[in-house]
Amino acid sequence: MNNTKNQRDSDIQKKIDYEIRMREGACKLLAACSQRDQALEASKSLLTCNARIMAYMSELQRMKEAQVMQRVARRSSDAGPMDDRSPCKGKVAISDLRIPLMWKDTDYFKNKGELHRCAVFCLLQLGGEIFDTDMVMVDRTLTDICFDNTIVFNEAGPGFELRVELYSCCSEEDYSAGSTPRKLASKLSSSLGRSAGKKMRAALEPGACSATSNGGGATILLPVPSVQGPKYHLLAHTTLSLSHVQDSFRTHDLTITGNEECSYWLPLYGGVCCRLAAQPHCMTQQMMSGCLRVKLGGEPQGWTNVYGVLKGTNLFCYHQKEDMEAKVEPVLTIGINKETRIRAAEKDPHSKAQNICITNQYGGEEVTHTLAADSREDTQRWMEAFWQQFFDMSQWRQCCDDLMKIELPSPRKPAIVTPKQGSLYHEMVIDKSDDIGTVTDILARRIEEFELRAQLGSPPHWMALFDEDPPHTPQHLPPHSPSPRLHSRQPRSPRCQRTPGLLSSNASLTSDSDSPASVSPCFRQAWSPVASSSSGRFRPRTLSLDAKLSTLRGRGYNGFRCNCQPPTASSVSPRPTQTALSCSSSTSSSSSSEGSNSQESDLGFSRPSGARRSLRILRAKLDPRNWLQSQV
Amino acid sequence: MSFIPGQPVSAVVQRIEIHKLYEGDNLILGFSIGGGIDQDPTQNPFSEDKTDKGIYVTRVSKGGPAEVAGLRLGDKIMQVNGWDMTMVTHDQARKKLTKKNEDVVRLLVTRKSLEETVRQSMMQH
Repeated sequence: MNNTKNQRDSDIQKKIDYEIRMREGACKLLAACSQRDQALEASKSLLTCNARIMAYMSELQRMKEAQVMQRVARRSSDAGPMDDRSPCKGKVAISDLRIPLMWKDTDYFKNKGELHRCAVFCLLQLGGEIFDTDMVMVDRTLTDICFDNTIVFNEAGPGFELRVELYSCCSEEDYSAGSTPRKLASKLSSSLGRSAGKKMRAALEPGACSATSNGGGATILLPVPSVQGPKYHLLAHTTLSLSHVQDSFRTHDLTITGNEECSYWLPLYGGVCCRLAAQPHCMTQQMMSGCLRVKLGGEPQGWTNVYGVLKGTNLFCYHQKEDMEAKVEPVLTIGINKETRIRAAEKDPHSKAQNICITNQYGGEEVTHTLAADSREDTQRWMEAFWQQFFDMSQWRQCCDDLMKIELPSPRKPAIVTPKQGSLYHEMVIDKSDDIGTVTDILARRIEEFELRAQLGSPPHWMALFDEDPPHTPQHLPPHSPSPRLHSRQPRSPRCQRTPGLLSSNASLTSDSDSPASVSPCFRQAWSPVASSSSGRFRPRTLSLDAKLSTLRGRGYNGFRCNCQPPTASSVSPRPTQTALSCSSSTSSSSSSEGSNSQESDLGFSRPSGARRSLRILRAKLDPRNWLQSQV
Repeated sequence: MSFIPGQPVSAVVQRIEIHKLYEGDNLILGFSIGGGIDQDPTQNPFSEDKTDKGIYVTRVSKGGPAEVAGLRLGDKIMQVNGWDMTMVTHDQARKKLTKKNEDVVRLLVTRKSLEETVRQSMMQH
C-alpha cells in the first residue's frame, strides 16, 4: 500500500519536474521571440504548464491528506467493510469544439475601427489531466471559433467534471512606418474606466500562476517567473459532466467572465457546441472471463462447456478460449443490460455450485439462460462480475447503451495553408523576380505530369504563350510578332467558361471546328486551332497564364481565371459593341472615350455573331468568380 | 502589405513612368492588371494578404513599354497619374490607365522586394 503511494508520489513529482522544465523553456522562448505569433504560442504553453503544475501539486496535496486521514482512521477504529463498489473508469473525449460569436453589425461595418484580433485557445481539465487546444486567431471575419482538436482523457470516473476554459489575448497588428497615429488610436479605444481598470489589474496579478503553498509535505514553493509578453485572460468557462455526454453534438452554456471593456473581449454568443463522448471500460474491456457451462435446450443434462467473456452489454460464449482470440463468432451471446435480471438459482443437487440464471426480455418474450461455473468460488466471482457490471452501467448511464466512437487524434497534422486555393497556379511558387521563362519550365514539367500531350496529340498550344519563338510551335500556330505587344492575346472571353457545362455553347466559337474530341472539356475551351481561321495574319491565340493552368487541372471553378475582356475582332470591329458590354462600368455609353484599345486585336479569327459573343462576354464579366484581368 | 479599413496605408513605392506605344490605332502599355474592389481578392496570386483588393500587375509583355520602364510582374499599383488605385474597381483602374489623350502614365508601384531593399540598406548604416 505504501509502495504504491510512494510510486504515485514520485510519478507526480516527476511530472511536476517535467512541467517546470517546460515552463522554463517557455519563459525563455517568450523572452527571446520577436514575432507576435511565436510569443502567443509560447504564452499559451506557459499558461498550460502553469495549470498543469497547479493540478499536479494539488493532487499531491490531496494524496498526502488522504494518507494522513487513513493513518488516523486505522488508528481510531477498524474501517468499516469496504462495501462501497467503485465504478469502472472510462475514456472521455471532447471534440469539434465550436464557439459561436455574435458581432454587432456596427462592429462589422465600422470603418474607423481597427481590425480587432484576438488569439484564443481552450484549456480542458479533467481530474489531473490538462490539455490545451491549438491557438486560433479570431477577428471580425469569423462567425465561430472552431477548434479542430480531439482531446481524449483516460481514466475518468463517471462523476467526472470536465472544465472547459476559453482564454483569449488581444493581438495588435504590427505595422511599419506611420503607425504612430494608429497606436494612439488603439490606446485610446482600449483605455479603461476606473472600475474596469481595477478589475483588469486584479486579473493581471499573477495570482493565477503562483504556486499554492500547502500545509505540509515536501512540495516546493515555486517561484513565479514574471514574463513579458502577451498574457491570456479567461474569457469564458463551463463545466461538463456525465449528463452532457451524448453521441452527437450538443450545445452547452458558457459562463462569460470579462466584459466589453477588456482588451481581450470577444462577443460570444453564450454557448459552446461540442461532442462529448465517453467510453467506460466496462464497455470496451473484458470485465470477466472464464469457463462456464451453459444449459442449452430443455434437457436437464444438456450442459455445454463454453468460454464466457463478459464485455460491454453482452456475455459472449465461445467454444474455447482460442476462438475468442481468433475472433470467431461466439456460440451464444447473452445480453447483459439494464433490463437483464440475474439471480443465483437453487442449489442444483447434481452440481456442486449454484446455477446462475440470466433472464432477458427479447421482444415480448422472456428468455432465461442457465449457466454454471465449475466451482463455488467461480460462481461467486461471476456473480460479483455481474453485479459490478450492473453497478457500472447504473453509474455510467447513457454511455452504456451503445458504444460511443472515439476517434483518436492523428499524431501530427501538417499545417494546412491556403485551403481556399486549389488551382495549379497557386501550387506554383512564382517568385516575383522570376521571368516568364521560369514559369514556362514549370509548366512544361507539369504538362508532362498531366500527360496532356498524350491526350492532345500535339504540344499544348498555350506553350506558345510565353515565347516569341516558341521552341515547339504547333504547326498550325506560327508565331507572329508584328509588334512588341506579342504574347498573351487576351482570350476570347466566351471561351473562358466557368463550367464545362456551359462550354458546349462556347465551343461554337471558333473552336468548334476542330477541338480534339479526346480533350477534356475544359481544355477545349483553351484553344482553337488557328487552322480554322481564315485569313493569313496570325496571332498565336493565347489565353492568359492562369486560364491555361486552370484548364490543365480541369477545374472549372477554382483558380479559374480568364480575361473577360471582349476581344477586338478586327480593326473594323465596332468598338461601341464591346464597350457596351463593359458591364462593370456604370456608364453604358458606347462612346469609348477612354479608348478601350486595351482589347487585343485578334485578327484572322472567325467571329461568331456579335450578339452571342456579347451575351457570353456579359455573362463572363458578371460572374463574380472570375478574376478579371485587363490588358492595358 | 496589409491594411486596415479606414486607416492610411503606407508602403515603399517606386515611381515608374511608362510611355505608351502606338500600335496601329491603339496606345498600349504592355501589361495586364488584375484585382479591384469588385473582384475576388482570394484569387490574386500575387498579393501577400489575400484580402487585398488592390490592382496588381499580372503580366508584363516582354520588351513592351512597361517592362522597359521597370514594371515587374506582381507589382501593386498604388497610383496612376495621381489617381488612387488602391480602392477602385477593376474597370475604373483600366480606364485610368488607358486614357486616349495621355501618352505617358506615371505610376507609383510597390512590391515586397522594395521594402526589403530599403530595410537592408537602412540596416547597413
